Amino acid sequence: MSLATIIPGRIGRVVLNVADYWQGFSELLFYVLRRLRALGRPPVRLVLQKQIYFTGIEALGAVTAIAMLSGIVITTQVTSLVGQNIALTAKIMLWTVVRELGPLLSAIVIIARSSSATASELANMKIRGEIDNLRLLGISPGDYLVVPRVAGITLSVVAVTFYFQMTAIVTGYAFASLTGNLPFVTSLSGILSTLSMTEVTVSLFKALVFGLVISITSCYYGLRASGSITAVPRAATGAVMRNLITVFLLNGIISYVFFI
Amino acid sequence: MISFDHVSEGPMRDLSFDLVAGTRAKAIYDSDERRNVFFAVITGLRRPAKGSVKWDGKDIYALEESGRLTLFQRIGIVPADGGLISNLKAWENVMLPAWYHRGIAPLQAERKVIDLFRQLGLTEAGLQRQMGRLPDQLTMYEKRAVALVRAMLMEPDILLYDSLFTGLDRESSNQFLSVTGEYHEKKAGRISLYLCADDAVSARLTTDQTITLAH
Repeated sequence: MSLATIIPGRIGRVVLNVADYWQGFSELLFYVLRRLRALGRPPVRLVLQKQIYFTGIEALGAVTAIAMLSGIVITTQVTSLVGQNIALTAKIMLWTVVRELGPLLSAIVIIARSSSATASELANMKIRGEIDNLRLLGISPGDYLVVPRVAGITLSVVAVTFYFQMTAIVTGYAFASLTGNLPFVTSLSGILSTLSMTEVTVSLFKALVFGLVISITSCYYGLRASGSITAVPRAATGAVMRNLITVFLLNGIISYVFFI
Repeated sequence: MISFDHVSEGPMRDLSFDLVAGTRAKAIYDSDERRNVFFAVITGLRRPAKGSVKWDGKDIYALEESGRLTLFQRIGIVPADGGLISNLKAWENVMLPAWYHRGIAPLQAERKVIDLFRQLGLTEAGLQRQMGRLPDQLTMYEKRAVALVRAMLMEPDILLYDSLFTGLDRESSNQFLSVTGEYHEKKAGRISLYLCADDAVSARLTTDQTITLAH
């Protein structure tokens, strides 16, 4: 086969895969939005609670560490650049932590932990025939497996994002205050006076979108697994890579639409 | 009623039978392939090349997903491997359909579940050990026992047992025989269908109707 056939063939496969993904993503998204009332059933709520615990609560250690380190690095860099300029420091902290790094880094932590776990768990269930077993019990796999996972991961991403932003800002300013660069309380007041509802709303909107993307993509890759057990790690890596690309792409689009 | 009308799929050729209310029947298979195909076709997982499969007069393959899910709430199925959900403990597996469909909370059903397991020869001490385990940590008998109790909690009109006795010792097989027989009699009009290998246990199983899957 010559390059003239290989390259278009590969491009075509990529295009088809992306189209297939977005079609599957849309179907799952609309399914979840239509079937949110499934959360009213106690067993489904239990899955939701377990998901929130695993995705949100158990991630707090890693998120706290990353948020603290990010806050320290950013304030150190900013104060070394602009000196004791509280107003400018507050703006830069808002632009970096609230608008961009908070949602993005939180999403990356969740992708690393929950995306691969969810995709591989569902892929495993699919290959072992457990999805069919649920149907034979009269239980909709979409209602029992997908809806609580999407709701749980999305809520967790939003909460973790907010927590990341608060931790990064407070820790960054605390460190700057300890090293004598900035007064702590005045700096925090500065950021609160600069912070607008638009900043908060857009950052939480980003977190909501990222949460939906991460959860639905993970479920999509998990549920389409078939064949042998080797499909499980393929589902996990496929979900993680797709999530990373999509989250970065959407981050750029949302920032451009709202802030430029 | 369960109705197979000239069903052909894979190694299964032109199979027809009707099971009316109150029937206790066994379907004897001579190979795993025939068993797998029959189980998949009768449970709506594999559309046959020819013929129709009806549960209570409704063609299972003409139903939407929601219709099939509603139908399966009235059917208790005990798969050969137990059909348990691997990330749920044994106790959670037992309670899942009853809690999901009927809102029966685990604590409410505890006494009944213990009684059902006692009939299967499992003591309360043994239960305490087993109920906290994941399915992969259970023996085949324990998995099938969990699946059986799970089905019985729903009080189904129709019960389908897939290879319930296969691979078990005589005592365990007899326990299943006895419990399922008594359970069949408890509700008038209940249909029980055993999918069995052609062996000594299926020969001891007394039924109103015998279906032979071998051709």
